[in-house]
Amino acid sequence: MTTALIVLPLAAALVIWVLPLNDVSAGALALLAALAEVGVWIQLVARYDFAQGGLQFAQQRNWFSDLHVSYHVGVYGFSVWLIGLTVVAMAAAIAYGFWAGRDRMRAYMGLMLFLTGAVIGVFTAQDLLLFYAFFEAMMIPLYVLVGVWGGPGRLGATLKFVLFTMAGSLLMLASIVVYGLSQNTFDLVQIGQSTSDWVFLGFVAAFAIKAPLFPLHGWLPDAYRESSPEVAAILSGVVSKAAAYGFLRIAITKFPEPAQHYRAPILALAAIGLIYGSLLAFRAPDIRGVIAYSSLAQMGLITMGVFSVNDLGLDGSVLQMVNHGLISTTLFLLAGMVERRTLTGELSRLGGMARGRPVLATVLLTTGVITLAVPLSSAFAGEFLILAGVFRHGWGWSVVGAVAMVLAAAYALRLVSAILHRDVGPAVSDAALDLRPAELGVVLPMLACLLALSAWPAAITQHSFRGDHGQADVAQGFK
Amino acid sequence: MISGAWICLLSPLAAAGLITLAGERISRRGAGYLATLSCFVAFGGAIASFVGLLGRDGGHRVVVSTAWTWISGGSYRSGFEVMIDPLSVFMMLIVAGVGALIVAYSIGYMDGDDEERRYFAYMALFVFSMLLLVQGGNLLLLLAGWGMVGLSSYLLIGFWHERPSAIAAAKKAFIMNAIGDATMALALFLLIKKAGSVEFGILGGQYSSTVATLVALGLLGGAVAKSAQLPLQTWLPDAMEGPTPVSALIHAATMVTAGVYLIVRTHSIFEAAPHVADLAAGLGAATLLLAGLIALVQVDIKRVIAYSTMSQIGYMFLGVGVGAYANGMFHLMTHAFFKALLFMAAGIVIHALADEQDIRKMGGLRQLMPRTYLAFLIGSVALVGIFPFAGFFSKDSILAAAMDHGAYGYVLWAAGLAGTFLTGLYTFRLLFLVFWGEPSPFVREHFHALKRDVVGVSLAVPVAILAVLSVVGGWIQWEPLWHPIETWLQTVAEPTVSPKSWQEAVSSALALLLGLGGIFLAWLIYGARRVAVPRFAFAQRVLEHKFYFDELYDALFYRPTVWAAKGLYRWVEDPLVDESSNSLGQDTRDLGRLVSRAQTGLLRTYALAIASSVAVLALVFVAVR
Repeated sequence: MTTALIVLPLAAALVIWVLPLNDVSAGALALLAALAEVGVWIQLVARYDFAQGGLQFAQQRNWFSDLHVSYHVGVYGFSVWLIGLTVVAMAAAIAYGFWAGRDRMRAYMGLMLFLTGAVIGVFTAQDLLLFYAFFEAMMIPLYVLVGVWGGPGRLGATLKFVLFTMAGSLLMLASIVVYGLSQNTFDLVQIGQSTSDWVFLGFVAAFAIKAPLFPLHGWLPDAYRESSPEVAAILSGVVSKAAAYGFLRIAITKFPEPAQHYRAPILALAAIGLIYGSLLAFRAPDIRGVIAYSSLAQMGLITMGVFSVNDLGLDGSVLQMVNHGLISTTLFLLAGMVERRTLTGELSRLGGMARGRPVLATVLLTTGVITLAVPLSSAFAGEFLILAGVFRHGWGWSVVGAVAMVLAAAYALRLVSAILHRDVGPAVSDAALDLRPAELGVVLPMLACLLALSAWPAAITQHSFRGDHGQADVAQGFK
Repeated sequence: MISGAWICLLSPLAAAGLITLAGERISRRGAGYLATLSCFVAFGGAIASFVGLLGRDGGHRVVVSTAWTWISGGSYRSGFEVMIDPLSVFMMLIVAGVGALIVAYSIGYMDGDDEERRYFAYMALFVFSMLLLVQGGNLLLLLAGWGMVGLSSYLLIGFWHERPSAIAAAKKAFIMNAIGDATMALALFLLIKKAGSVEFGILGGQYSSTVATLVALGLLGGAVAKSAQLPLQTWLPDAMEGPTPVSALIHAATMVTAGVYLIVRTHSIFEAAPHVADLAAGLGAATLLLAGLIALVQVDIKRVIAYSTMSQIGYMFLGVGVGAYANGMFHLMTHAFFKALLFMAAGIVIHALADEQDIRKMGGLRQLMPRTYLAFLIGSVALVGIFPFAGFFSKDSILAAAMDHGAYGYVLWAAGLAGTFLTGLYTFRLLFLVFWGEPSPFVREHFHALKRDVVGVSLAVPVAILAVLSVVGGWIQWEPLWHPIETWLQTVAEPTVSPKSWQEAVSSALALLLGLGGIFLAWLIYGARRVAVPRFAFAQRVLEHKFYFDELYDALFYRPTVWAAKGLYRWVEDPLVDESSNSLGQDTRDLGRLVSRAQTGLLRTYALAIASSVAVLALVFVAVR
């Protein structure tokens, strides 16, 4: 089952690359594969035994036996939800790319499917070298997707992105090699806990760049602005979660002592990022800027949850990973839809789009209020749990979070109003139509997921860790 | 009984969802009927719950029904649950009942608006949120309703979204409420840490006075934000940008009274932190005076009523702050009647004058719309608290309760009495300016009477019902003769004060006298015009600027935030992050050129490189072992 989840998109990617398909059939085939992947995931949810928890659907084949490296994949409770986020968001992104008609469709769709397989590989790998391989395999299609299909400044954006992530990856590789050799195995389930600060920091650096955490976000504004909307959606919605997953699965689980030792500085960076990102989002001049900096803020919040290392914070951070993934994907796709109509993302040139466009207004407004974590939304549930969790390490962290709640209201309402309300902006013409059925079909499933999660956030929080005790599960190293 | 509660909660939500999903497949009028129907169904559910509770004896009047576990984290769990007890039923009846009347009134008021459907979807969403707030079975769900109320109020205030002032007012209301949400969330975090739960029951537990004080302060922060009390009061007058029925529903009858409900609901923690309870009462007293003063100089018919609302909620805060819970809730109820009545009568005036709200342009409407005048008069008399109208019974009992609260209570009592004088003055200033005298040129030109069609009926009937309630609504309870509300709420919140009969009598007499005095002064100045309008330039300027709170907050919070954001862009984001990563790119290119020189093509250079690399790797391996 796990292998099927990884192989299905990879195989589909190969088929699309190899067969001489025209654009429409390539796109249709890719969408079909992405939807099939959602189907496989639904099977996975149905069959995963949440009452028992722990590693399930594990498959293991020896790779380099003398180094104790193996192809070992499997699924934990929390990975189920992250995989779910991946397949849903990727299907939406592929559908949107297909509908928007990207040029060189075969290459494009192949890369998107390859990316899907790689991300699922990251979320399921139970061997450090395999994890690294998937982590890198995830980056390669992204470099190409940003660098070839991006906007005018794509080359600069790609260069920054490559340099930052390469630096992080090398540090992680060094850490993996040292850690694996010193423990005499690379198996993530069996490998023992370590007390080495340096190895821990290597991992943290890689994940902190990928997330990103303040002040390692130099690549983020450009990459999110220059890529096509669906790639930006995947970058901020899905790929950033690989970093948060790494914090959870490796950093705090395998390095309990260093994690405790470095908790205060990491929480501080996350908290600074939370406020800093919120403030910058509040003044960002364009739609994507607001979403980009709010992503920075949200990744700070999620990191706070993970590094609080208690039941509340861990549950909250898993929930918030899924929430933010869905929210960010939806927002970036909506940004793309607005930009298609107005040819600009500058807030000062937009406005008044609500009049005569009820569907766009309703969808954007709903997404906006979930973004600002209005109580009763799933984003509120995640934020509440995270801040309640980190409260135990000092009330100051939660006060910072509470301030960020108010700032989030300010920047999300500013974004919504700047697009929808007041006078009609100079870039908005009467010819700009309401959302087309296809566009609605892309965003509505994600919005439906968010509303369903708002009604029942415990669907994730109660089904992420064994017996819903994240702290104990982490302490035992997810054995 | 409990199914009645669930129907009460969910039927407005269903209506909101249906109207949204149906889009243009439902007619505008149909959306109005659907929303109204859902609110009346909710009222029916509330009555069913009430009757169900009546059938039980006092000690067993609490029913909790959990639908599912809403959120969890480890051993912490909060259910999606409704709780039916005397207090929540009391609120459900007011919210659903008055709400249904106001939504019915909206059918007429919003007739012809382009986006009626959206309006009714928002109205139904609001009623759902408010019912969630009062029915939520734990503090977290209460907070969820709290936030949803803020959201739907944002949507309704900013309903006419092409008006920049409406959008600005809506944002201001939401963000001030978000501040309250945040302090409440902090209080909940502390409770989770100390007690591991957010059930209402844990509020009565044993906490150190610091913890109790902090929790009470956090909750009070939410209460003052939602109820527009000092220091978070500035959003309410601006919120009058919304349609008038919205003001009646949100800014008079329901949402703004949520703070009072919250304090009564969580009274045990306030009793454990008496200083915070005193603070709440003090803030209420200060707000009632401040708002009463500002109302004297306002020239917008809705803003006068809005300040009057702030002032009246000040009384409720005063009451529940000193521990007179039932009296505060009683005043909440009568206020819902007469204030909704005033807003809706004002709405008819605005409607008849082609959307004009400036009272300086009005006058002489008494002859043109006598029935509306009568309704407005009833509302005004009830608001001032003249016997035997509703406000008399509820307001005076709050004042009497304050007398039983020591020396501090007498200060509050004096403030409350001064407030009744102000109430009489500003209320009748408004009434005389709008309805008395000769019709102004503006009125002659723009007046058009209501017709006897659906619009007219939908406007008139709810107003008539509320006018009746504003007269008889207060007769339910007349302390100390009979007090069914106090008995009904006793199991939820036992009052901590019990004023004596002479205190009741003195308070009533003085309040009545002062109220009549205010009316008389208003009559001298604005009715009979025997006395010129007094001019105090400085005081007038201060009042017209609402004591400069907006300017103060702008300078203290908004501008610093904008400066901080701009400064971060300028001094941190651009130079540090952006430039450094750009130069990083440049350095890498340079490095690439440098490294490319190593591609010599000479085999021995490569061999040397390989050998030295292996050596370094070997060293690393040895070091790690």
